[in-house]
Amino acid sequence: MRNLDVEGRKIPLDKEGYLRELCDWSPSVAVQLAQAEGIELTEAHWEVIKLLQEFYHRFELSPAMRPLVHYIRQHLGADKGRSIYLMQLFPPSPAKIASKIAGLPKPTNCL
Amino acid sequence: MSHSTIALCRTPPYGSAIAREGLEAVLTSAAMEQEIDLLFLGDGIFQLLDHQSPEEIGQKSLRRNLLALPMFGIEQVLVCHKSLRDRTITLDQVQIPGVEVKTIREPGTLIAAYHCVLSF
Amino acid sequence: MTLHIVNQSPFSSNALQDCLENFAQGDVLLLIEDGVYALQGEFFRAIPGARIYCLEVDTAARAQEATASAKPNVEVINDIRWVQLCTQHNPIVSWFR
Repeated sequence: MRNLDVEGRKIPLDKEGYLRELCDWSPSVAVQLAQAEGIELTEAHWEVIKLLQEFYHRFELSPAMRPLVHYIRQHLGADKGRSIYLMQLFPPSPAKIASKIAGLPKPTNCL
Repeated sequence: MSHSTIALCRTPPYGSAIAREGLEAVLTSAAMEQEIDLLFLGDGIFQLLDHQSPEEIGQKSLRRNLLALPMFGIEQVLVCHKSLRDRTITLDQVQIPGVEVKTIREPGTLIAAYHCVLSF
Repeated sequence: MTLHIVNQSPFSSNALQDCLENFAQGDVLLLIEDGVYALQGEFFRAIPGARIYCLEVDTAARAQEATASAKPNVEVINDIRWVQLCTQHNPIVSWFR
């Protein structure tokens, strides 16, 4: 089993790098998960991560690309609610990468 | 002939995994930009009821997943009028914000107009 | 016109009842597996005049050949006829629970 070392704690990950326990998530965990994907988190990333977590708690599912884009557009407007924008923030597969960093399960509707 | 697809949602939400798996299939199609209509009938009507709290039986709320339908571009669902009436369920008990719930009185005629029918 | 296929006994499942409630004019019904036990009841009054088929091997296996031949709208068919029905009808709805 893989682990992530965050502030002296060992946090277990599954074989694809998702958190095994969703309650292990914290902003510093997110920073390290992002680093493993080669992503430096900025304000633009955080607002998407927060909305993604909100989506998950509201609908009890990790969104695939289409619903994610829809939700982001609803909350952040049409400029950000586009797949190209999310692609730039969380390459190469925004729904999967952003879910991972947000501490959520892998999207079920992503093939 | 149209190449349209309809999913018949016939099973209640928690007694088996069928309802959830059916919904996942529908959401996956919708996420892939495939147009798919939903008809709730028989005990499938119970999937729509508001105030489902399945945490204590160790399940996730199917109703909550249904609330995400508009995010997948599904803004209308069909429900069988007779199935509602048989279960003394009123239309206001099965509303989904952002989704038009339309009652169907002749489901047979409706189904016959589709190209592909999935049943869950 | 729809081809409805039912594979559950109406005495233990709602499959046939749900099917009959979703039957349109011109639709046809095919009974397979335990679905052939529907021949033991009076279920087809709900769809007067509709063509009803049952699969030969399943009907024979379940001792339903006599009940099948006693019902006027019922025809016992083989697999080739089943395939023909599938090509002649659209959509096809499976009522398997």
